[in-house]
Amino acid sequence: MWFEWLFKYPRQAYGQGELAFAGDFGVLWWAAAAVLLTLGVVFGRRVARFPMLRRASVYLLQIAAIAVLLTLIAEPVLEVTRLAPGANTVAVLVDSSQSMALPAGTNDETRIDVAKRLISDEIESASRGSEVALFHFGDALQQIGTVAEVQAEADRSRLLESLTDLATHYDQGALAAVIVVTDGAHNGGSVGWETLAETGIPVHSIGVGPADIPGDVELAELVLPSRASPHTQVAAHLVIRHSSRDANGRVRLRVLDGESVLAAESIALDPSSPTIATDILFPVGSAGLREVAVALEATPGDPLPGNNVQSALLDVDRERYRVLYFEGEPRWEFKFIRRATAEDNDIELVTWLRTTERKTYRQGTSDPDELADGFPRSLEALYRYDMVILGSLPATSLNDEQHDWLARFVAERGGGLLALAGRHALDNGGWDVKPVAQALPVSIARPGESLSYQRGNFEVIPTDEGLRSVLTDIGGAGAREVAWKLPMLADHQILGTPKPGATVILEAIERVERRGADTVVRGGRAKPLLVTQPYGYGRTAVLATASTWRWRMRTPPEDTRHSLFWRHLIRHFAGSALPRRSLSLAADGDALDVRVALKNPRFEPLTDTAVTVQVTAPDGESFDVALPRIAGESAFGETLPVATPGIYRVEMAGIAGPAPMAEGGRPDALAALARVGETNLEQFGATLNEPLLRRVAETTGGAYWRPDDLSGLADALAFSSAGIHERQQLPLWNAPFLFLLLVLLKCTEWSLRRYWGGI
Amino acid sequence: MMPAHPTAGRKLTARLFLVVGALILAGPTVAQFADEDGITQTNDELWLTRIRYDSVGGPREAYYHYDGRWWERWETDFPQAEQNFAKRLNELTAVTVSPVPLRRRLTDPDLGDSPLIFMSDVGYMQLSRPEIDALRTYLANGGFLWVDDFWGDAEWASLERAMADVLPGKRWITLPIEHPIFHTVFDIEVMPQIPARDFARWGRGTTEPSFEHRRPTGNMRTPSIRAYTDDDGRLMVIATHNTDIADGWERESYGEWYFENFSTKSYRVGINVIVYALSH
Repeated sequence: MWFEWLFKYPRQAYGQGELAFAGDFGVLWWAAAAVLLTLGVVFGRRVARFPMLRRASVYLLQIAAIAVLLTLIAEPVLEVTRLAPGANTVAVLVDSSQSMALPAGTNDETRIDVAKRLISDEIESASRGSEVALFHFGDALQQIGTVAEVQAEADRSRLLESLTDLATHYDQGALAAVIVVTDGAHNGGSVGWETLAETGIPVHSIGVGPADIPGDVELAELVLPSRASPHTQVAAHLVIRHSSRDANGRVRLRVLDGESVLAAESIALDPSSPTIATDILFPVGSAGLREVAVALEATPGDPLPGNNVQSALLDVDRERYRVLYFEGEPRWEFKFIRRATAEDNDIELVTWLRTTERKTYRQGTSDPDELADGFPRSLEALYRYDMVILGSLPATSLNDEQHDWLARFVAERGGGLLALAGRHALDNGGWDVKPVAQALPVSIARPGESLSYQRGNFEVIPTDEGLRSVLTDIGGAGAREVAWKLPMLADHQILGTPKPGATVILEAIERVERRGADTVVRGGRAKPLLVTQPYGYGRTAVLATASTWRWRMRTPPEDTRHSLFWRHLIRHFAGSALPRRSLSLAADGDALDVRVALKNPRFEPLTDTAVTVQVTAPDGESFDVALPRIAGESAFGETLPVATPGIYRVEMAGIAGPAPMAEGGRPDALAALARVGETNLEQFGATLNEPLLRRVAETTGGAYWRPDDLSGLADALAFSSAGIHERQQLPLWNAPFLFLLLVLLKCTEWSLRRYWGGI
Repeated sequence: MMPAHPTAGRKLTARLFLVVGALILAGPTVAQFADEDGITQTNDELWLTRIRYDSVGGPREAYYHYDGRWWERWETDFPQAEQNFAKRLNELTAVTVSPVPLRRRLTDPDLGDSPLIFMSDVGYMQLSRPEIDALRTYLANGGFLWVDDFWGDAEWASLERAMADVLPGKRWITLPIEHPIFHTVFDIEVMPQIPARDFARWGRGTTEPSFEHRRPTGNMRTPSIRAYTDDDGRLMVIATHNTDIADGWERESYGEWYFENFSTKSYRVGINVIVYALSH
């Protein structure tokens, strides 16, 4: 408000306008300038006896005042382009999705009531001089005659697509601005922000609805892997949003396969953390397609019980992990890792073992040449594995090129890398100065020459983060802390500081073990034992011991914890490896988004080929689709409209040209499933999504408005950058800021003269 | 509970005699191996662990007199054989072995810290019920047992009876020379027969005399490795029968002829077995 009072016109006018002078710089102006200059010279002579600083100050103030006067004489104006009256349209979009029928959070109005009131009372009047075109959007954008027609009934809210559809199909020449009234609960597909900005039409978003819904507990996100091996455990990643004010509040969570409860857990609702991210493990059972549902038990008074359940499809089928274990000395850890993985038919362990100074022993190789010369001889050969385990061997066992490949194996191929402890491992083996040290989750460089590898008795303790990780799921009844009461390790290698982004899963505490007596604490300080981190597309870990075999040898034969630990570890790290042929599928409303990525044996994208997929609809009918290459990306894809709701299966049908052949490593993802329709999206994310609405406005050059303050909207529309404009000169000579400036200059001069005692 | 045995009285007398004898004669050997409670931690990966067991019978059965003292069967070649073998393993392979061997009973609670155990001269061995159970658990967990230095049919039958209680229903197999255990480090074309040094004479063959062993001995001329495997075909127990591999280690310095003809072969077998046990 103060801006417009002081400068006479709104900010938008100054934002897009240019300053100019309407007056004639003729004889009168030059005469006035000459007289004022002469007076200044005369003044200067009269006060020559005063100090220079005082004379200069007063002189400058007088010159400034003269300049303001001369400016006024020249008739300053602001040249602006304003919307031409009667020639433009302002599109008003109102959200008609079901979430708009929820309370607005003020009075007893619903969000759609607020939207209708704003449009009738304020928005239409703010759009004076322009025609108002009314639309509503839910599943699709639709023009309407009056706002009274709008009902909040649509089962989804395609905000971003509606905005781009409007810009694409409407007569843009006359479209001056878009006003969208919504709660921002967008649940349609994704639209590139650049696409939205390229429309050139400013979008003014008005957010209706509360920032939180009292009493609501929402399962906001459920992430499941698309595939899992039979009879394994899978982690479901969940994000829970809540508005609980009860410090002891809890909600019960269940994982369901139809009527069967696969897992259950109670989650604390901490009032200081409105968003909770957690994992829950569940057994997947035998092979087949599962629809796994995760449900939060409704609490009394939950206003939106419909957002307590989410489900996802899980294809339970065989996975295959090919792992290279490179070991520099025969030791028990080697034997027992082999033994643990032998119990898992999905893990193919290929080992290279140095037995003497000049002899090696290979096991699990698929052909006589594999590893015949030690570490793989080419990048392609290394990329046939999904994971590499480095044992106790000096870094000099690899040449510089192979060290570089190893780092790329993780970063680019997405492979897993696990470094074990040992007399020749990590810093003891000189790995701290090799490229792979950058990829590891801890610093392994240690000052001094003493060996970091030590024998002793070390108790293993999972960290809090570790207890939530799939890596510590080693079975056993009861809490995981109990399952981790394991026999002590016999060695430990001192590690440096974990890197930012690394997660310490396990820690070790050194203890003195006396036979026949209780253990005695020696140091008590926990040191990192198992540390992990993502690196590039892959994952890395350091396990600072080589005596987990004690967990096998010092427990009863039926104890499976050692085996499960290694199987989970290898599956987790090998599981990050990228397939060479991948097909991904996402349901987007009534459409399927299919993407295919192909890579050569060096994992460089293949683009000079043609890809066909076969789509099988829920009714069993199949059809082939040729996928074009996605512009600007090294992938092929298409969005396919589908009519029948249900589960769709898409399979790679054919690849023309230099098709990559599967050779080792994880099997290619050649088929995918997705469910279309039958969703309850409007119950999710039902609070006001102000960040999204602000981003829409900022991206397009519009502004975000609160419903209770639309006073600036009319001016914002009048000076909109889009539409049909006319040029206007807005006089500034009578703007208050010029008069205030003149008064300020003269008052300052007068004050200085008084202070200095006359000049 | 220990089953009553007809030789129990003789055994007790023999033990008393043995203890006195050991105090007088065997003193200097005590410090040469690590005791049950006195292990000093080293940075070594492998401990050579000798199993201490009981044997049935009296003199020349459960124990024997040799080299100026009385020996129990379990301690044959111990600890010199292990000490020499550890030295050679450290020299010839990438395995790091403690120079100090261990001795353990099958019922010791830390037996699991030694995933490889060694038993010698088992022709009169008798295992108690707790020992049988402990060995069964040890093998089921992945432990590896090597039995050496027993000859002829009667001593084989003794071991067979003891192991039938440990792993009922299992069948012994004789490992063919193509088996990986003969090729992990050295390519062994023929299973060597190693006689104890006292029976090794140039031109007399390699088979020990039958009167030195439990009768009936039957044919003792063919050495072999017999084995128990688990359900996945992995070796759990190996028995080097009709041969004394450990004597080849113990007596490596007892003459050039014995070293070249027997000790070298003993080390080839020993190294292959150790590396096999560490890698399978």
